[in-house]
Amino acid sequence: MATAERRLDRLVASGPALLALALGVFPLLVLFVESLGPGLGPANYAEALSPLYRGALTYSIGVGVAVTAVCLLVAYPVTYWLAHRCPARYRLVGLVALTLPLWLNYVVLNYAWVWILARGGVVNAVLVNAGVLGQPLEVLYTEVSMALGFVYIYLPYVVLTMYVSMERLDQRLMAAARDLGATNLRVFVDVILPRTLPGAAAATLIVYARIAGAFATPEILGSPGNVMVARLVVQAVREYIDYGFAAALSFVFLVAVLASLAVGALFPRVRRELRQW
Amino acid sequence: MSALAVEGLGKAFAGEHAVEDVSLTLERGEFFSLIGPSGCGKTTTLRMLAGLLDPDSGTIRIDGTDVTDRPARNRATNMVFQDLVLFPHMTVAENVAYGLARSGVPKPERQTRVAEALDLVDLGGFGERDPADLSGGQRQRVALARALVNDPEVLLLDEPLASLDRALRGEMQREFRRIQRDSETTFLYVTHDQESAMSMSDRVAVMRAGGIVDRGPPRRLYSRPRTRFVAEFLGDATVLDGEVVGRNGETAVVETQAGRVSATSETANDHSDSVAVAIRPEAVTLGDGDLTGEVVDAAYKGFYEEATVDCGGARLTVRRERSAGGSTVQEASTDGGDPSRDRRFRVGKSVSLRVDRAVLVEDGDG
Repeated sequence: MATAERRLDRLVASGPALLALALGVFPLLVLFVESLGPGLGPANYAEALSPLYRGALTYSIGVGVAVTAVCLLVAYPVTYWLAHRCPARYRLVGLVALTLPLWLNYVVLNYAWVWILARGGVVNAVLVNAGVLGQPLEVLYTEVSMALGFVYIYLPYVVLTMYVSMERLDQRLMAAARDLGATNLRVFVDVILPRTLPGAAAATLIVYARIAGAFATPEILGSPGNVMVARLVVQAVREYIDYGFAAALSFVFLVAVLASLAVGALFPRVRRELRQW
Repeated sequence: MSALAVEGLGKAFAGEHAVEDVSLTLERGEFFSLIGPSGCGKTTTLRMLAGLLDPDSGTIRIDGTDVTDRPARNRATNMVFQDLVLFPHMTVAENVAYGLARSGVPKPERQTRVAEALDLVDLGGFGERDPADLSGGQRQRVALARALVNDPEVLLLDEPLASLDRALRGEMQREFRRIQRDSETTFLYVTHDQESAMSMSDRVAVMRAGGIVDRGPPRRLYSRPRTRFVAEFLGDATVLDGEVVGRNGETAVVETQAGRVSATSETANDHSDSVAVAIRPEAVTLGDGDLTGEVVDAAYKGFYEEATVDCGGARLTVRRERSAGGSTVQEASTDGGDPSRDRRFRVGKSVSLRVDRAVLVEDGDG
């Protein structure tokens, strides 16, 4: 009886598990075979690692790190306030307001910033007419506009993930630290940060690779001179019809992302928190 | 100079007075308890003393220095929190060392003092453990060590034993008392558990609705409560209303609903004829008394039995110790006959009572 039940359990579990595995791993395998090309050689990888593409890779990783860091810097005080200071009845309203961009098409979200930042856009119109500026700011199509767009689009994910951690943060731990002589900074470093690190790590895992590999935001809001990896991949597929190279570039990017995450995990404190998962 | 002197402390939340005009003085090395029912303002008072809550009025002096406006980190107080709140991401030693590190004690000295503090609470060698791996009693000790290691002028304890089972609570009470003596620290202990407060404290203050209603050594509060509230809160006294029909020095004869009772009166100036009389359950003897009543409820409590006796409408609680000579319930029920030898209360039975001791208490809130 017991073994029969167990067999049934396995059968029920195996279907979805296999499906998940197939959806996750199978396309990657196909992509990897493609990246090796017909000759099954490393030629595509050699090219992907050439200085021409290395620049785009490091730039993409840099943008990913910087924007993720800005999102976390913004999300920490905001989620702390929401979870611990905001009156309970306004909490849901605040959370919904902050995560509203999640429900809109993100190409539209990018174009909203074009409209806001353009020479004749809302910001410039107001500032020039008010006499604050002599002539319009040239912010659009720079790294500033790209960063604004990125933060706007990815902040909601970070806020939602961090909020869960922040809500679980025990206020009494902060009182205990204060009672034992901690300043506000020490309370943050010794209590808030370690207790919310899992949330920050989860948020990083969710947004970091997507920012580094983003296509739409740099295309719509970024400077044409700053090339990120996604544009090169799209170019290889659309213009050169070189699927093998596109696949190799994607894999190099994947490895770079994983390597940079591993660097983050080198911090002892991060490692200690991760062990608890 | 007193370790702690509080004057006219007050705090209101949304217009409601949580604490009103509380004044307290703690002598150095004293074990002082602040007790009262939940919501009486005792924890609020403690948080103000710790500096975790700003008072609306009043002053707090620690060792003669006014600390009313100082934040928690600049006060010579440390707190053992309800539910302990040990830092879960630190080891036992890191928890205990935390306060020392914040006050800039160099590492070698920190290590020695942490080891000493852990020894004091009988947890020598537990430094590298994770707080989550400890038992409830051990976590208590860590919390105590974490606060005591800083050598506070006053140690504030906020019902730290509330979550322990009865046996462990008894053990920890003895430990608290021992540690308090060994460390020569002033303890201010807040609880709703009058039993543990009375067994540990040198002095007790009883709080009600934001104010202190009475204070003194536990024996005085128990045997000669001044108010109805204190009499009822400390050890389940029955309080009966009555009229004074005769006085003889400090003793007054009071006609109550249940019958005539002689009661001692501390407040000799209380000459009003309408009074309240507090009677402790253990001050009532069964048999050959002037009062008669009917047992309406009986409960077996282990080494004693408790009955509620209806005397002319007034309900008196009566306790009777069970004799050591194996008078189990079965034996008692077959015992029968002589009521004085019957060790068991029977519901519906008529009994006569004698009140050995009673105290006149103030009615009202005061």
